Amino acid sequence: MNIGNMAKISLKTIKNRAENEIKNSKNLKDLDGVYKKYLDKQSELSQILSSLKKLPKTKRIKLGKEANELKQILKKDIEQKTKKIKEKTFKQTYEKEWIDVTIPGKKPVLGHLHPLTQVKREVERIFELMGFSIIEGPEVETAWYNFDVLNIPKDHPARDLWDTFYLKNGMLLRTHTSPVQVRYMEKNNPPLRIIVPGRIFRHEASNANHEFNFYHIEGLMVDKKISAANFRAILQEFYRQFFKKSVKIRMRPSYFPFVEPGFEVDMTCTVCLGKGCAACGRTGWQEMMGAGMVHPNVLKNSGLNPKNWQGFAFGMGLERLAMMKYKINDIRLFYKGDLRFLKQF
Amino acid sequence: MLFSYNWLQSFFKKKLPEPEKLAEILTIHFFEVEEIEKQGNDWVLDIDILPNRGSDCFSHHGIAREISAILGYKLELPAARLKEIKNETKDFLKIQVKSKKDCNRYTAKVVTDVKVGSSPVWIKERLRALGLKPINNIVDIANYVMLETGQPLHAFDLDKISERKIVIRKAQKRERITTLDNERYALDKDILVIADSQGPLAIAGIKGGKKAEIDKKTKNIVLESANFNSKTIRKGSKAIDLKTDASWRFEHEIDFNLTQSAVNRASYLIQELAKGEPCKGLIDFYPKKLGLKKIKLDLNYTQSLLGVKIPASRTKSILKNLGFDILVSSASQLMVRVPAFRLDISIPEDLIEEVGRIYGYENVPLTFPVGALIPPKRNFSIFWKDRIKDMLRGAGFTELYNYSFVSKKQGEMFGHNVFDMVELENPLSAEYQYLRPSLIPNMFRALEQNQKNFKNIRMFELGKIFQKGKIGEKRMLTAVISGDAFYEAKGTVDLLLNKLGISDVWYDEYKPTPEHSKSLIWHPKRCAEIKVGQTEIGFLGEISPKIIGELKLKSRAVVFDFDFEKLQKLASEEQQFMPISPYPAAIRDIAVLVPRDVLVEQVLNKINMIGGSLIRDVDLFDIYDGEEIPEGKKNLAFHVIYQAQDKTLSSKEIDEIQNKIILALDKDPEWEVRK
Repeated sequence: MNIGNMAKISLKTIKNRAENEIKNSKNLKDLDGVYKKYLDKQSELSQILSSLKKLPKTKRIKLGKEANELKQILKKDIEQKTKKIKEKTFKQTYEKEWIDVTIPGKKPVLGHLHPLTQVKREVERIFELMGFSIIEGPEVETAWYNFDVLNIPKDHPARDLWDTFYLKNGMLLRTHTSPVQVRYMEKNNPPLRIIVPGRIFRHEASNANHEFNFYHIEGLMVDKKISAANFRAILQEFYRQFFKKSVKIRMRPSYFPFVEPGFEVDMTCTVCLGKGCAACGRTGWQEMMGAGMVHPNVLKNSGLNPKNWQGFAFGMGLERLAMMKYKINDIRLFYKGDLRFLKQF
Repeated sequence: MLFSYNWLQSFFKKKLPEPEKLAEILTIHFFEVEEIEKQGNDWVLDIDILPNRGSDCFSHHGIAREISAILGYKLELPAARLKEIKNETKDFLKIQVKSKKDCNRYTAKVVTDVKVGSSPVWIKERLRALGLKPINNIVDIANYVMLETGQPLHAFDLDKISERKIVIRKAQKRERITTLDNERYALDKDILVIADSQGPLAIAGIKGGKKAEIDKKTKNIVLESANFNSKTIRKGSKAIDLKTDASWRFEHEIDFNLTQSAVNRASYLIQELAKGEPCKGLIDFYPKKLGLKKIKLDLNYTQSLLGVKIPASRTKSILKNLGFDILVSSASQLMVRVPAFRLDISIPEDLIEEVGRIYGYENVPLTFPVGALIPPKRNFSIFWKDRIKDMLRGAGFTELYNYSFVSKKQGEMFGHNVFDMVELENPLSAEYQYLRPSLIPNMFRALEQNQKNFKNIRMFELGKIFQKGKIGEKRMLTAVISGDAFYEAKGTVDLLLNKLGISDVWYDEYKPTPEHSKSLIWHPKRCAEIKVGQTEIGFLGEISPKIIGELKLKSRAVVFDFDFEKLQKLASEEQQFMPISPYPAAIRDIAVLVPRDVLVEQVLNKINMIGGSLIRDVDLFDIYDGEEIPEGKKNLAFHVIYQAQDKTLSSKEIDEIQNKIILALDKDPEWEVRK
């Protein structure tokens, strides 16, 4: 047999053998063997290709073409088989790596902000959007700022409205954030828009609804023509944003010596939306805050001329907002430091 | 304050709305009705009368007047048609007011031949419904008229008053009186009394005395109806710690004109119900007659303050229905005369409130203000507070809000002398006797409580502490980690300060002297002052095992305690980007054997000093002082990371620096670099 015939026969045999071996390969290592055996430089196929040099041109071209085609076919076969084997291996691995997705997740250790901090931030956010600056003031106050400048004279029954802690040094613990109104007006000229969050103190035994220290947010807006109608619009907008419900507010008469007229502000009960339920004592309303138009004496005491300026002021309890928002039934929980409570927020 | 629905109805011919409805109307236009209680065929309304209306609304007449103004019903006043006898009051009785400043008016009338007995059922029922105990017809009538008119009255047995002369004076020091309820009070010179020549008959405006008490045998009586100085009564009532229906009303000031009408009304009821015979005339001490106030009301201002235009005619009718007189009226102004019973009204804003509330605040529209668009000022204190809180939350800490008070014991346990703490004049209890001198005591109370339910506790609080002297109050940031966690706490502090943009931080080992208060609370070998430059900004340390033991804590606890005001001053939002070097980094290790008391910082400083800018980082990865290490020594192992900004460092360059470092470390005869 001449080289040509021999090569032709070999190609066929090689093809059969190789295809068989590829088919029977069980893993990537087997396949690698097949590759080396048939496609490497030392392989039979390569030898055949190199032996072709001695053949005449026409035969050489023909056989060369056939040999190259076979090379391509085998390469492709091996590639396909590789893919198949890989897929199979992955599948087996996946099977082995099955996990139970219903096992509870491992939580990263995150801390918790106090619910009052969270509610305070929300209140601050809403009022800041409406142009109110946030101001703070001292917790230990003089009777002058806590009472006298706020139009609550000494020896007046109105002082009994605030049960007060007095210090041995003659100072007192502020019973409301209202002193900051005056402190701010003394140093700033209208137009004024501020809210004052802060801790306040009342001398009374604690129970589910009362604490001896708690938080107030005071509000003050003073300009040329600020009216009760403005107060109503701003506060209703605040409550709507805070509770994310279309609540309404109503004002009714009340008395605080530092405002005139004075208002008590009720809001549509967030539980029954005004229908009347146990939470609101069947009235459909919940008491939210005390407010009013700043008393001319307070403006005067702060160095502003009541003929030129007017405005509203309000004070609301932060705990009350938090209790309504989270349905908390006992105000004392805020100050007990119990992590079983705090870690819920 | 309690009011009878039926009694209020008696002021009107027209039927009042049902009790529930009436309560709602009063709540919207007057004051809140807190409760309605059915009592027999009557209803008792509990109305929260606020102190400004004490002068006219601590009475059924006052509430009826409000109802009349709100509903527009005509008010019918109770009768007082006296059939007086010929004898004149002044022939039976002398009155001398010695303390004129304390007594604005003193009105008295004598009624003779009364038949003391039990009151008729309707009087008893009304008194009982409103919480008063019926005694006898004379006393009951005095009380009844007080509930009706708001004017407290008192009845004396005329024949028990020595020399039939009443003196109004200040008590003498240690003068005593036995009151009607058989209590004895020691008086002093600030307390006003009604006396005869022998001694006090009553504590003026507060409580009657036993001596001239009305009893079954009483025949002739003196009815007293006075107007005492509100401050005198308030002080007296506080001094002897006795509040009564009378003192409560006097404290709030009362219409001067009421004394006469009330005494006549009571005389009339005694004439009708106890067969008494009123004497002619009154004794009326009333030296300073008060005129009526006039207020100018600008209708444009009314509109501007309420934000709603109320027609002038409506404004006028509201004021008239409330008892005000309109003296002059123009298109934009009213001249209003205030009735004597409205002591609370003195400025135009007071009138605007009257008009607004009767008109109804529900009719005030919702109008957003018109004004300049001024952005709110940023509050940096709150900004940094929020930042710190968020950061600590991210680091696994839970925020606490503790009470602002501590007990003496708590303060002392944490090294605070009682003389340095701010003490309350009127604490709620010994547990809350002082203002907190630090956030640590209450934080440990919380730790003690929480260890029952949790392990690995991390908590913080940002709040005010109080100290004597100039500073008074300041904010602190305090956190605790339970366990042997000094380095966790230190790492948290580093991270926190880094996030606040505070650099130049170092830890100064703290060596307390035994007499220093801090020595009581910290573990003496595990605490450090946190410093920036030369300023101490905080403290980091393990709490002393003694306190841990006293509080029965299950594990150690590490605390960091910052002066927030100082933190805030140093904090900065500025931050600069560090270019990332495109050239590779190389890591070499150095292990050095040093005496146990050598600080890691000393070694680090040496390495960094030699390496300079070519060292990106030095990382302590092991401290070992166990087996194979000579006694009193420890082995420190570091990864030194080399990297330049402008080129790839060759191994030759790196070796050179590394060798220099080794040489420098080895220079100290006690130190030995392990090769």
